[in-house]
Amino acid sequence: MSKIIGAVEIGTSKAKALIGEVAENGTLNVVGMASRPNEGMRKGEIVDFRKAAAAVHSALEDAEKMSGTTVDEVYLAQTGSHLKGTMLRGSASVASSDSRVEVTDLQRAAEEAKRKEADEGRTYVHHVRTPILLDGRIVQDPVGMFGSKIDLGYWSIDGDDHAIKQALHVISNYSLEVKDLILSSIASSTMMAGPDLRRAGTLVIDMGAGVTDFALYRQGFVACTGVIPVGGDHVTGDLSMGLRVLEPYAEKLKIEHGKAISDPIDEGEDIWIIGNKTIGDRSIPRKAITDVIHVRIAELFEILSKELEGLLDPDELKGGILLTGGGSLLPGVEQIASKILGFTARRASFPSGIDSELAQPENATVLGLLHYGLEDHGLPGRKREEVEVGFLDKFRNMVGLGIQE
Amino acid sequence: MSQDNLFPKETNFSPENEIPGIRAKIIGIGGAGLSLIDGLRFDNFQSVEHLAVDVDSRALADSLAGEKLSFGRRHTRGMGTGGEHTLARKALEEEKDIIRQKLEGIDLVFLLAGLGGGTGGGAAPVIARLAREAGALVFAFTPLPFSWEKSRHSMAEECLADLRKFANAVIPLPNDSLLQMGGEDATALECFAEAGRNVSMGISAICSLVFRRGMIDVDFVHLRKAFNRRAGRTLFGYGEGDGKDAIRQAVRELLLCPMLHLPDVSKAADALLILITGGTGMGMAALQQVSTEIREEFKAGEHIVFGAHVDENMGDRVQITVLGATDLEAGTPTADVAPIAEEVIAVLPKSKVAHSSKLKKARTAANTKTVKTEPRSKKKDGIDQNTFDFMEAENQRGIFGDLPSRNIYAGEDLDVPAYLRRGVKIAI
Repeated sequence: MSKIIGAVEIGTSKAKALIGEVAENGTLNVVGMASRPNEGMRKGEIVDFRKAAAAVHSALEDAEKMSGTTVDEVYLAQTGSHLKGTMLRGSASVASSDSRVEVTDLQRAAEEAKRKEADEGRTYVHHVRTPILLDGRIVQDPVGMFGSKIDLGYWSIDGDDHAIKQALHVISNYSLEVKDLILSSIASSTMMAGPDLRRAGTLVIDMGAGVTDFALYRQGFVACTGVIPVGGDHVTGDLSMGLRVLEPYAEKLKIEHGKAISDPIDEGEDIWIIGNKTIGDRSIPRKAITDVIHVRIAELFEILSKELEGLLDPDELKGGILLTGGGSLLPGVEQIASKILGFTARRASFPSGIDSELAQPENATVLGLLHYGLEDHGLPGRKREEVEVGFLDKFRNMVGLGIQE
Repeated sequence: MSQDNLFPKETNFSPENEIPGIRAKIIGIGGAGLSLIDGLRFDNFQSVEHLAVDVDSRALADSLAGEKLSFGRRHTRGMGTGGEHTLARKALEEEKDIIRQKLEGIDLVFLLAGLGGGTGGGAAPVIARLAREAGALVFAFTPLPFSWEKSRHSMAEECLADLRKFANAVIPLPNDSLLQMGGEDATALECFAEAGRNVSMGISAICSLVFRRGMIDVDFVHLRKAFNRRAGRTLFGYGEGDGKDAIRQAVRELLLCPMLHLPDVSKAADALLILITGGTGMGMAALQQVSTEIREEFKAGEHIVFGAHVDENMGDRVQITVLGATDLEAGTPTADVAPIAEEVIAVLPKSKVAHSSKLKKARTAANTKTVKTEPRSKKKDGIDQNTFDFMEAENQRGIFGDLPSRNIYAGEDLDVPAYLRRGVKIAI
């Protein structure tokens, strides 16, 4: 029997809901998708609960209507500048007398890694497993191999309790359960960077409206993730102030005429703000628009470069830099990113087989949620369900959500 | 380039019809304050006095101001403060009686002080407080350091917050935005000169309102009534027009004035002063329309001071200056409002005398310490919700102005437009 799963991203500009049908052979079909403008959110954080909830609910409703089904649980993307990532490491010596690694050895190492509790007022959102080392060598699945010591690490992201609870309540108010919280950056990179790229080493930058998420992959695993509280809204705000125009016009100028890098063709060209040359309309040099955007985008990548200092190694980043999210549509961003970060950056493209209507950079996260949810991220040698339930139960206890099983 | 060229002489007004009785004083404090006050020439306002205040006696000796006051000799031996604003504050507190003397009988005080410096940053809030205690209306024009001068910038912000507790209106002149002034190829020096001209225009607008008789006349009492509350945020802008369509042109330039498009500038005003100066040909109908338009633009509340002056020297030029203030704490009782402001509110509506010295001794150490609330943080539980309605809908600090927390990364507020922080000039 096929299975229905849902994904929700509460984004700063739009709330998106996606419903997928997983066939018995494991293939995923997207059967419902809707997005609604979200006014309850700023810079990746909910500032108006009811507005955010209304946007999510109507997106979910539409997606359900479109698919003709209902969902019971969803994967929820999590972002916001309150998230912080740290690497937790654990190790265990191989217990058996014949030095063969057993599943329990892995479990002990994992337990040790996850033992560190989050600080007061914070909750772990996501533990992402990084490579398993057997006596210092990276191995995919050490179970059954000979060795003496297992090391493994979790890139663990913790966030502010209230912010996370609020996001969960948006979903629970629609009487849905959150199956798992997934970091937005990891979701979108799951979609945009295939296993090959992740193995070669890739930096995925998701330029959203409120925040910019990034995830750095090395040897197929997450090495670092982060959220920079600057997004497309900042570009709009800068334009509004720099050109002295109202915000909606600034947004329109950004989308229709925005460029992140100056182009000699535009020299001397003027743009009409409203466009219909009515009273109150005035023209501004195209250069002014480009200048405002350029400074902001360049600064964004400078901050990124600072955050990733020492982590960008040519041998470990053969996959280059992928840009996605609505902000990546801005002409010229890839040049600036390449120049400042020192590696070739390009716009990420969706894998083939995704409907062209869906294959928009702004949908990377929500599509990625489903794909990530389908993949197996547990420890080798364990049944998947077991691991996940364990994690979620722990999480539910932490945030104190009443869950009726 | 000599300073005379940088700061053109204000010759718009003739001294003939000046209204006597009201005294104003322009006080320049510290290095930036002194150079600003030297840039101003208000020789044609008879009742406006100039006072230069500094700890650096050599700098003071070079100043052109009519009256000079050095303080802090005991602490600095006549040299500068070296950026220590606590030092200046301490020194001034010890010698505040001299300042009080200087403020006696003054109705209107303009403070010019660079808040990034030790003397300006430390002394300006103290002098503002003393001036309010003496019953004067206090307007402050304060240059702020560039945001890349990180420690100075954050110090200046502290001083600004302090100054806002006491002054009736504080007009910040951030160096970041001064670079946006003037034409595309304007040099830094020209931009600073432009800033000086702004201050000049602001003060001249207020002075001519108070001291001159105009076509539409307002007086000191009106001004005082509009600005008697403590100001949270202010707006200040000007525009100039020329020729047949002068008024329209001036309004358009006003609305594009870079001073009105800064992150910290209020987009709406509870109290608004509009002053239009034009030649003899200025039409009444046009004036009325302009006033309505400006009022709407700034969503001005009940306190509007609208003045129109005719000056033959203007020819067919028209100048518009607006100065507004938003009192974020309007209506909130006690704890929020600086004790002085509170007392002034209590006293003023009944007795509209020019200055009341009753306030002098009313301050005690006990109620000083209640002044600690951040202006924005009271937003939620303010009693007078009407004052805040526009704030929810309108963005005050750029598009993220309504968010309570600042977006600080490595000492910079990322919500402030990048081009302002990086000093990139946008020519529109």
